[in-house]
Parts: sequence; C-alpha cells; structure tokens
Amino acid sequence: MSGTGQEQSVGIPPAEQASSARLTTLRILLSNEFGLLVLIVLFAIIFSTISPAFLSKFSLYALGRTSAVNIMIGFSMMVVIITGGLNLSVGSIGVCAAMFGGLLMQAFAMPWPLAVCGGLVMGAALGALNGFIIVRSGLHSFIITLATMSIFFGVMIFLTRAESYRDISPAFTSFGRMKLVGIISPLLLVSALAGVLLSVLFRYTALGREMLATGANERAAELSGIRVNRIITYCHLLSGVLAGVAGLMLVSRTGAAIPSMAGQLGQDWLLPAFLGPVLGGTLLTGGRVSVLGTFLGSFLVTMLTTGLLLMQVGAFWMQTYLGMLLLAAVLIDMVRRSYLTRRKLI
Amino acid sequence: MSRRFWETDWFGPLMVIVVAVAVVSALNPSFLSPFNIQVLLLAIAVNAMIAFSQMIIIAIGQMNLSVGAIGGLSAIAFAGMMEVWGIPWPIAAILALALGVLAGVANGVLVALTGISAFVITLASLSVYKGVNLGITEAQPFYKIPDVVKGLGNDTFFHPLPWLIIPCVLAALLLWYLLNRLPLGRSILAVGGNEHAAELSGISVRRVVIVAHAISGLLAASAGIMLVGRLQLGQPTIGDDWLILSFAAPVIGGAILSGGHVSVAGTLLGVAIVAIFTQVLVLFNIDPFLVQVVLGVLILWAVGVNRFREVRALKHSAQVAS
Amino acid sequence: MQFKRLISACLALTAIPTLALADSSTRVALIPGGPHPYFAAWEQAGADAAAKFGLGAADYKVPQKWELGLQNQMLESLVTQGYNAFLIFPGDPVGTVAIANELADTGAPVMALAGCLKDPSDAVFCMGTDTGNSAYLGTKELLKELGAGAKIAHFTGFLVDPNTQLRIDAVNKAAEEGGAEVIQVIADIDAPEPAEEKINAYLAAHAADVDGIITTAWVPAVVASSALRKIGDKRIKMVGIDHDEVVLKAIKDGFVHGTMLQNPYGQGYIGSYAADRLRSGCTVKADAPFKSNALTDKFIDSGTVFAGINDVDDYVGSMQAITNTLFADFESTYLDCK
Repeated sequence: MSGTGQEQSVGIPPAEQASSARLTTLRILLSNEFGLLVLIVLFAIIFSTISPAFLSKFSLYALGRTSAVNIMIGFSMMVVIITGGLNLSVGSIGVCAAMFGGLLMQAFAMPWPLAVCGGLVMGAALGALNGFIIVRSGLHSFIITLATMSIFFGVMIFLTRAESYRDISPAFTSFGRMKLVGIISPLLLVSALAGVLLSVLFRYTALGREMLATGANERAAELSGIRVNRIITYCHLLSGVLAGVAGLMLVSRTGAAIPSMAGQLGQDWLLPAFLGPVLGGTLLTGGRVSVLGTFLGSFLVTMLTTGLLLMQVGAFWMQTYLGMLLLAAVLIDMVRRSYLTRRKLI
Repeated sequence: MSRRFWETDWFGPLMVIVVAVAVVSALNPSFLSPFNIQVLLLAIAVNAMIAFSQMIIIAIGQMNLSVGAIGGLSAIAFAGMMEVWGIPWPIAAILALALGVLAGVANGVLVALTGISAFVITLASLSVYKGVNLGITEAQPFYKIPDVVKGLGNDTFFHPLPWLIIPCVLAALLLWYLLNRLPLGRSILAVGGNEHAAELSGISVRRVVIVAHAISGLLAASAGIMLVGRLQLGQPTIGDDWLILSFAAPVIGGAILSGGHVSVAGTLLGVAIVAIFTQVLVLFNIDPFLVQVVLGVLILWAVGVNRFREVRALKHSAQVAS
Repeated sequence: MQFKRLISACLALTAIPTLALADSSTRVALIPGGPHPYFAAWEQAGADAAAKFGLGAADYKVPQKWELGLQNQMLESLVTQGYNAFLIFPGDPVGTVAIANELADTGAPVMALAGCLKDPSDAVFCMGTDTGNSAYLGTKELLKELGAGAKIAHFTGFLVDPNTQLRIDAVNKAAEEGGAEVIQVIADIDAPEPAEEKINAYLAAHAADVDGIITTAWVPAVVASSALRKIGDKRIKMVGIDHDEVVLKAIKDGFVHGTMLQNPYGQGYIGSYAADRLRSGCTVKADAPFKSNALTDKFIDSGTVFAGINDVDDYVGSMQAITNTLFADFESTYLDCK
C-alpha cells in the first residue's frame, strides 16, 4: 500500500487529470494519508521522548494488536459510510458473529476454520438484513441500525443468557498471543490483508466503483444503470462480514467468546468505528473512501490512547487529554492543508 | 384540510400513542392512575429536553454527539457548586446553564470556523467534557442537594403535574416559536436544508451554526440540572445514556437527519412513545433479557408507521396532481 | 505447578533490570473495571499498604470507561510502566482471563479483586465479595423480616455482566427456600436515568402488589432508596447493597431495611500486602482453605455483612473489624513463607 494510492474519488476535476510532477507531489502532501503519517511520527517522537518505554518490544506488540482490532472495526464502518449511510450496529453484529463462532466451536465441536466461516456468515447475514430493511423501507440507515443494534444484541443476550463460550480451539487462540519477529501480532497482518483486499475492491472492480458512485450521487447512479438497492445491501453485508472478522479477532485474543466484549449493545465499538474512517478522510456524506487513511487513522487513535496511558497523565483526566489530542490532530491536519494550498496558489 | 392534518409530522406518532394508551390502560387500569401519570410526565420532561437538544442540531443538518457529555458536566457542576462552594441553587443553576451554553458555543465555533464536520468535532469534545466531569468528581457523586431542588425535581404543583414539566413546556413553546416564527429559526432550517443556498441568500451560516450549538448546549444543560433534582444527587454518570434517545425521539417525530426539517411537536410525541413503551415493558413484566429486543422492534415499528404514512401521502398527492 | 512457575518467574524478573526499574521493590497496580464509587476505597487502601509495608508503590489506576478493551490496554501499559503486581477487578470474568494470564507470564502476581475470574486462570486467588452469596444473604435478611409468602422484586445491573445472572439465580434460590416469590426482575439499570424511569414506573403500577425489594447493584440501590422515600412507603421493605450515602441515610430514616456491605478497603489493603509477600518469596499454600463460588475454587471472602438500622452509624468500624480479622492470620492461613 503506497502513498495516496488508496484514495478514490468520484468526479476528480479535469484540471487535475493533467498531472504534472509538481501537482502529484502536491497531492501527496495534501493527502490525508500523508497528514496522518506526519501526525503518527510526530506523536511517536513525543511519546517516546517522554516515556522511553513506549518503544519497548512489549509496548509496540500490544499497540499493534489493539490497533488491529480497531482498524478492522473502522473498515466495517467505512464500507457503509461510503454509501452515505451509517451502521450503528457494528458492535452488535461483531459480538453476534463472535458468539456464533464460539457456539460452533464449543457446542458443535467444529474445527476452527469452519467455525470462523460460520461466524462470518452470521455477520454477513445480519449485515444483509440491515441492508434489506434499509432498502425496503427507504428509511435512513442511522435509525434502522439504531433499532437493529438493540434487536441483534437483545436476541443474542436472550439466547446465550450472557454465558461465554470458552471451549475455543487452542490453534485459533494462539493467533491472539503469537508474536512474529518479536513485535508483530498476526492480527495486524489480518487487518493489513483486509485493507489490501478492500483497496483492490474499490480501485479495480466494477462493484467497488459502483459502491462509490452510489455514495456520491444515488440518483445519478440509478440513472446510469447501477442497481442502487442491491449495492447498498452489499455494502451492509460487507460491513457485517468485517465486523464479524473484528469480533473473531477479539475471540482469538481473549481466548473466549464473551457477550460483553463490545459493551452494552456493542456501543464500545462506535467510537473506534467512526474515528478511523473520519480521521482517514472518508467523507460522511459518502462517495469517497480512503482505505489507507482508515488504517492510519485507527492506528493513530490507538497510539494516542496508549501514549496517554503510558505518560500517566492524571488518572481521571485522561479522556479530556484524549479529546484534546483528537481535536489537535484534526486541526493540525487542517492547518497543514490550508498552508500548503495557499503557498502553492500564491 | 383533512389531508393536511394527515400529513403533519405529529399525526403518526400521535396515533401510536393513542392506540398504545388505549390498549395498555384496558389491560392494566393502573396505567392511568395519577401517580403513574406523574412518573410518566417526569420521564418525558427530562427526555424531551435531551431530544430537543439534539433536534436543534439535526435542524441544521449536523449531529451533536456531545449532548450527554454537556448534560453530565452541567449536572455535576450544578451539584458541585452547591455542595462545595455553598452557592444558592438558583445561581448555581444559572452558572451551570451558562457552562452548557459555553460548551455548546465551543462546539459551534470549532465547527463553524474550521469547517470540519460537527460529527468529528463533537466526537472529540464529548471526550473532553466527559473527561473534565470525571476529573472533577473522580466518579464520586455529589450528595448535598438542597431540599428545594429535590422538591422541584419530584413534586407536583398541580396533581399530577410535576414542576419539571414547566421548563419542558416552556422550551417546547419557545423552540416552536423560534423555528416557525422568527427569522433566526428560518435561517436555521435554511442552513439545514441547503447550506450553500442559505449562504448565497445572505444568511451568515457561521453565526447560525454557533447559535444552534449554543441552544443545544443550553437544552442539554437544563436536562442535566433537571436530572439532578429528579435523582436527588449529582451522579457523574448522568448523560452517558442519552445518545440513542436523543436521536430516536426526533426521528420518530419526523425529523430528517440531513437537516432542514424538524418538528417540535413530533419530537415531544417521539419522547412520549419511548417513555410509554419503557413503562409498558416494566408493567407487563417482560423478561429482562428480551427488553432490548422489544425496544428495538418498537423503534422500527414507530418509524415504519411514520414512513408508511409518508408514502401514502405521497401517493395521494400524486393522484391529486394527475 | 502454577506456583512453581510463579517463583521462577519472580526470580527471572529480579534478574531483568529493565522490567524491575532500578530496584526490585514491589509496584502494585490496583485496577478497577471502570470509574465507580465502589472502588474509591482502594486508593487509600493502596496508599496505606504501601506506607505500612514499604512497597515501591500501590497505585490506583482507573480505566476511563467501563470498556473491556480499555482495561486491557491499560493493563498492557502498566506492564510497560514497570508495575510488577496486579490487583484487578475483572471487566469480564471470562474475558479478562487471557490478559491476566499474560500478566502472570511476565512473572507478576495477579489477583482478582472484588470480582472473580472464571477458572481456569493464572490468578493466584480471588478476593472479594461472593456476588451470588451476597445476593442470597441479602434476600435471606429481607425474608427474615417479611416471612413466607412474601412477594419481592429484584432490581439489578447490566445483563452483559455474567454476575447479574448469578445474582438473579441466587435471589430466586433464597426466595424459593424462604417460601417467597420473586414477582419481577428489572435489569440493565446501571445508569441513573433508566433506573429512575423503570423503578418509579414499577412502583407506580405495582407498589401495592409487592412486599419487598432486593437490589443487587449500586445504582438501582440508590435510586430505589430515593423512590421509596419519595412515595413515603414504609410498608415495602428493601435490602440494598453497598454504602452509598443515599442508601445509608434511607436506612437511618426507616425507608430501607438494610444493606449488604462489602469490604473494598480490606480488598485493596490485604491484596497489596499479599502481592508484596508473594514477590518476596512466599507461595500460596497448597492446602490453603480457599472457598468455592460459581466462578472459582480459589476464593477468599473479603467479607460481606448485613447492616440494618442499628449498624449503619458504625459501618466503617464493622468493616475494619473484618479487615483486621482477615489480615491477622492471612499469612499463616494462605501463605507459605520461608
């Protein structure tokens, strides 16, 4: 994954098509991805100066492992945001998929690859159900997924009585503890792989382009022969699958499928779900996506939390600092871009 | 005339309420007992403030994720000022409201000046406000609430009408007047409908955005203060639970999330629907493990009814046109 | 085997200067599941223990939200910061096992505090209130007052917390044994607003049908106390939980029958002490008289007592008495020191 390569945009002004080398550099410098990289490096330097332990092997490993899950959650929201919609039920779906996978491993003693597939199918089914209801009712995805968040989670809690599944295949849980080259978690590789596949989808396939076109302008897409309803359903299905992957990654890490892993109604996932894509430059109005941006955005947020925890800022104040850092990150990025544009324009 | 009645935002939710009240009170007469009505009104009074606080932001086509954080911060500021500094409650309430406005203005200024989506800004400020709340309280509630405040939070001035219903009604009337009669209200809806067009027609979009966020902060703060009275203590967790309700009620009441169209009456009815169904689940002793499912289905059902009405109205007007 | 690994890990730890941070003194971290008034006593308990037993530190570290992920991240960060003993309130009895095991693998003694981890885990032991037993005893106290045939309502916390199911079962069991009936369970009311709404709605409709209320979570206890005071009903008897001022005052004024007190200070104090002893060469006795509960077979009861109107004023004293008794023979009962 390189530079601005992941940035997809529908309707690039023709002026930019005639890209001189200078314009290309400008576009790289102006891109969200570059801004995020700068911020990541900047904060990494700050944190490691204040607390050298930040760069210790264990710390880096833990950071990678935590961010892997957050990145996947971010992807899950991202694929719905590109249609201009939202999916508040990512957490619910993730937990349901994970619990179903756990059930298959424990109660039906399935080998883990099968159980994982089963979990993903569950995620896909719930996501598709979201999409189906949204398309059929014509209501905003926000309100539909607000309702299904309660429904999915409630049914799961009702059926499982909040009992966990602990009989998870050791081969599967070893992923969550494995260290490659001492510091890299295999989970991070899973997220990276998902990122590559998603960029391929949006960059090189007709389906991906149709998804973006639908998000950019639903009516226009419809007129140009895209079956908009089907595309929206696919996006929600994909979101469900990715949420399922995130849920199963957590199962592998905690060694059990537990109903509380995303909090009440799966609400704990909402913050990472939105922060990654939004910081990464995915427009909430749809039509534009940046897979690499989401990846880096989610990573940045996880890193900020880790850094703040390490610096031992006044225990109860941490959330304030995190909020301010987020604001700072967004503002710095804005200033950087306006500065660059102005200089080039003058 | 009847068609216009049929088309109003509040008609659908009103029908839902009428049917629900009829069915529930037939099955369980205690539902309409004065005490139960009082309990219901108390819940509606506070929740309506929360919903209005979000509604005004939905009107400008944005989202305010920090309503709960502002409400919680104002609540503990109100309780804390009375307990720690011994400030008399009316002054503490005014200062807490001012704090809410300030928090809202901060949101508004950041959104208006930077042009970054309100979703992102309020996501970050949510953390900031909640963090300040925890930093001050260290998760410990404030207990020393004057009896007057406790009384206002729980007593009735005219049985079964609780005191808290007064600020709620006042807020509803003022908001209705603002949105339907004042130029500022029209500007707010215009910005929500089409920001660019509003700008071109000479509306200062920045000013409107800041004012809307200030109002949102004020309403969230009043909800927080009212809750301190109702709960009789300054809980730091006040506000943690508001987000879902704050969106569900306006949307059930016919608000369009992309902005430009909200209904005060509809929102109020949306709040009432949620309150009634929460109560019904308790009244009929629904298995606690199923409560979440039922609530989710109810939201779907309520917005579905609304949508059905809309589609019918559309078809109807299409027929008239042809 | 676990103990053997602990010793060897402890030895290994003292040999690695980077982790032990200059000296090998015990640095205890006390980590609750999230911000909650229940745990506030841990801060003082840790500070007292650190001063009394000469620990390097015994710090109270609060995750900012009740999120399993955030607690995990905090624990990982504390390892990096050089803490070498962990007293954890598990965010989830099962979900926290993996990270607890990882912490134990670094050689640090790990104890579950206030709530238990589900066996098997590498936690040395669990010291806290037996949540199920406390709910059971509370219901018994309530029934002592009400007698057989009573109808009781049970208000409790989040259903995602497996402890909630334990509490529901325990209350039902006690009611069955006492010939009473649990006519309604209201759950998921850990936040004040829904608690207020649901409890008041319940009382509005069913105040006449119910004889007693048992609450098994902090917020429902507070809200139900206020609600009973509000309707001025002293006929309905209620047993609450924990030591919130609102509950204690309602007991004094006769609106609430009593409350099930827990011992957070004792948990923090004795836990910090035990962590230090374990790091300085002690091991847990193979035949230590651990109790069993629904989650673990290595349970130490930190004490839970019923406080009625006569005990409220001196509840701190009665908890301290329990702490002192537990502490006096803690080492001889549970530890094997050279």
